[in-house]
Amino acid sequence: MANELSADVVVVGTGICGSFVAHELAQAGLSVLMLEAGPRRERAQLVENWRNMPPANKAASDYATLYPTVPWALHPQYMPENGYPQVDGPDAHAYRQGILRGVGGTTWHWAASSWRYLPSDIQLHATYGVGRDWAVTYDELEDYYYKAEVEMGVNGPNDTSLKYVAPRKQPFPMEPMPYGPADRRFTEVVATAGYANTPVPQARNSRPYDGRPQCCGNNNCMPICPIGAMYHGVYHTLKAEKLGARVIPNAVVYRIDTNAANEVTAVHYYDPDKVSHKVTAKTFVIAGNGIETPKLLLLAANDRNPNGIANSSDQVGRNMMDHPGILMSFQAAEPIWTGGGSVQMSSITNFRDGDFRREYAAIQIGMNNTAQNLKAGVKALQMGLVGKKLDEEIRRRAACGMDIYVNHDVLANPENRLRLSTTRKDGLGIPFPHITYDVGEYVRKSAVFSRQHLQKIAALFGATEIETTPYFNPNNHIMGGTIGGADPKNSVVDKWMRTHDHKNLFLATGGAMASAGTVNATLSMAALSLRAAAAIKQDMLHG
Amino acid sequence: MESPSLSQDQPTPTPRRRRHLLRLAACLAVAAAGVASAFAQEKTPVATPAAGQVQSDPVKRGQYLAIAADCAACHTVPGSAKLFAGGYAIDSPMGKIYSSNITPSKQYGIGNYTEAEFARAVREGVNAHGTHLYPAMPYPSYAAMTDEDVAALYAYFMQGVQPVDEAAPETRLAFPFNVRASMAGWNLLFLHNQRFAPDASKSAEWNRGKYLVDTLAHCAECHTPRNAMMALEDGAASYSGSQLGSWHAPNITSDAVSGLGGWSDAELAAYLKTGHVAGKAQAAGPMAEAVTNSLQHLTDADVRAIVAYLRTIPAVRTPGQAAPSYAQGKAADTDADTIGLRPMQVNMADMKGEELYANACASCHQSTGEGTRDGFYPSLAHNTAVGGASVDNLVAAILFGVDREAGGKHVLMPGFGPGSEVQALSDAQVASLANYVLQQFGNAALSVTAAHVAELREGGPTPALAKLAGPAVGIAVVIVLALVVLLLARRKRRARH
Repeated sequence: MANELSADVVVVGTGICGSFVAHELAQAGLSVLMLEAGPRRERAQLVENWRNMPPANKAASDYATLYPTVPWALHPQYMPENGYPQVDGPDAHAYRQGILRGVGGTTWHWAASSWRYLPSDIQLHATYGVGRDWAVTYDELEDYYYKAEVEMGVNGPNDTSLKYVAPRKQPFPMEPMPYGPADRRFTEVVATAGYANTPVPQARNSRPYDGRPQCCGNNNCMPICPIGAMYHGVYHTLKAEKLGARVIPNAVVYRIDTNAANEVTAVHYYDPDKVSHKVTAKTFVIAGNGIETPKLLLLAANDRNPNGIANSSDQVGRNMMDHPGILMSFQAAEPIWTGGGSVQMSSITNFRDGDFRREYAAIQIGMNNTAQNLKAGVKALQMGLVGKKLDEEIRRRAACGMDIYVNHDVLANPENRLRLSTTRKDGLGIPFPHITYDVGEYVRKSAVFSRQHLQKIAALFGATEIETTPYFNPNNHIMGGTIGGADPKNSVVDKWMRTHDHKNLFLATGGAMASAGTVNATLSMAALSLRAAAAIKQDMLHG
Repeated sequence: MESPSLSQDQPTPTPRRRRHLLRLAACLAVAAAGVASAFAQEKTPVATPAAGQVQSDPVKRGQYLAIAADCAACHTVPGSAKLFAGGYAIDSPMGKIYSSNITPSKQYGIGNYTEAEFARAVREGVNAHGTHLYPAMPYPSYAAMTDEDVAALYAYFMQGVQPVDEAAPETRLAFPFNVRASMAGWNLLFLHNQRFAPDASKSAEWNRGKYLVDTLAHCAECHTPRNAMMALEDGAASYSGSQLGSWHAPNITSDAVSGLGGWSDAELAAYLKTGHVAGKAQAAGPMAEAVTNSLQHLTDADVRAIVAYLRTIPAVRTPGQAAPSYAQGKAADTDADTIGLRPMQVNMADMKGEELYANACASCHQSTGEGTRDGFYPSLAHNTAVGGASVDNLVAAILFGVDREAGGKHVLMPGFGPGSEVQALSDAQVASLANYVLQQFGNAALSVTAAHVAELREGGPTPALAKLAGPAVGIAVVIVLALVVLLLARRKRRARH
């Protein structure tokens, strides 16, 4: 049959998780087929798009327009708004996640913060009696964390006496990058009030690494690193292809076939013309990260799995988490000069852990080091200034403007749900994901203190024009929707990311993370995906 | 379920590996230049001995000589801890040539070599079994090595190198290139088996420099053009530059326009030590490898000696060249002409050279082409690669990048060729980008075609002799060579009578 393809392993999704799995398996000599809903993208094209974006989009931090969406694989667009994904609930705004669909996934634009979670983050319930524990322990994950750090090229501080950083057996692959002026000054100023501002581990080259150059501080990590010094998932897509994996872009998986033993036998995808293609394999991996993975599992419900694939527990699409954030901006009394170095180089980690977590959410506080010139320019023009006064005001704001954020640990709550929209469909007729979200009392209680911290920091800088978001904003750290756990009755995947329901179906996604912690989830997603790859290798090569 | 074991996939840092073109043409019976991508040594595997040790200890002296002669570049597999164990694959148009194990392993290396056998291998290209080496081993240059230095090298390889009891893979080339004996004919024609004789009319420094340049560092192997038999063209053409696979080894004669005449002594010394001189040139490709593995480790006195000798190499002017390659071009900013004026989502395929430059190059080299003020990102104007008579080093740098380590600093420009994870460009895109760079910042008289980019991507023009593989042509070549050998042998005999 012309429309039928086959491989040892089919990986659905080519972001960092899918590409890590594909790369490992191709390296092990397995035939790997990667199906990607969105198109291929090229760096120079993205840089060109960004260069030509209107200043208003740039000043509004519109990191989506340069990644044009396609009708068969929608992702969020903001200017104008396309309403993808559909969100509601008390904190709907906090789940408008800026995902990208296409070869390489969302890490085309990110700050590359690559944290390990703390052992207590991973065993939140065991440690503090709240939330849930992961299917794996920190010790079981550590080797995979290190491998992910090596594959991505992570730089970071090796001082494990910092409060709080995860323990490590091996040093970081690279030394940290030097701070720019703003991170230096921020560290000095907040230290006077007892805040420890420490280097963020970053998947960014502080020296030439893996054939890619070192960061030269374009400060353009979001929306696109123009020189390839920052890690993107697409590197592992390309590495997998060099090892023989085949990538089919614009292939939207919509159906999953299962047999009498409830093993997956095939997936079906639509091409952009809605022609259906069937793909068979021995092992299947869904790697659409935290939104598209549960969406597909629900969409692909079949006779044997009427509530959705891998959903006998009814946990698919539940426990949706992120790090609800509060953002404050102000004009400091002195020039700070954000913009030197990468966009996120340091953060305050004093409140990542502590016994208070029994009562309210741990937080990470940090300064966005994104250059202020775009915002400064737009604001100065709005002020009606011209000539020399305009130049001076742009200069003052570019020097003194600061953005400070607080991100909160959110608890797994089964009522925070992703379902298939009943009202909106994409170009192929596939329903939008529809997410209902409430950050919960645990976060709201913590946010009271967060706002006090923000006011204190603003005062340290003699701030004027202080503006703080009255709502929680999203951070694109999507977790929980295919939650991991030991008990098949209340979780979707096991400690190897294998679905409880289908022994040859793995989910390589941050959706398996059962608690959110306070820091970017990407390194954990990548490490968990390496565990999936290890289990698949064990099955297929030694099983 | 079973726990997958991590033991088999414990992570190891991905070795940085470099595509580069082999410094030496891999010659054969009929000698054909082997030029291909291979991986270079990541770091010099031998620590530089202190000057005092070099004076007193023959083993240490030998170690220094091995660095100056860059033995490790070919005799160690890049990234391998097995120093001098050979097995480094030299991809030549005729097939892979593997370097030999030159550790003192008695079974697999040169542990049983006498000093005389060692000397014959180094200077005459014949190993202890009487088998001819392919001149990928630069023995035509090493032939001038002094007995004293050969003795020191021998001492180092026997006493200062750990034996590795492991066989290097055997080289198996296709007919006619597998007829190693035919190298005898080539050697009769092209090997001048004469030791270095100091020129009493010149200073000791000059003589030292000549010895380093001509013999140990074997500079001519790359910088002197080769004849139809792939042997170095001695005499007037010496050091006047040569094609080296995808790269061009420039003219290093004393000519003020085409050679090094316009460089100061300090600039030449800095280039040898770091591979970087602002406003002149940056070492890439095989020269970056020479700096990384060998030249930066030479003593200041030896670097001065090299400079002193280079100054006196008879000038060769490239016909038609009016100005030094580094004097061409000027910084120019076209960013304002393109930014924000095009619609979003212009396709890559439609981008012109200036847009490709803006999107793939300007973030480091700046929209003006001036690079950064500290010179970390070099200026493209006043740059030998952009202003020279050949476009090849510009195109090769775009395709393969720049990779060099000197003074503890690693310089890396990513390649934009096929398989680039940063941004792979097509032949047409590279041509269009290179043409923009030439027009804007360099020698505007030059231009590049996509076909030429394709040729350089594949390792550069194939030497005529390498095209002679195959049974019919091969047999003809062997017959001709046999006649040459016979003729030469007779002539010699007659001369003796």
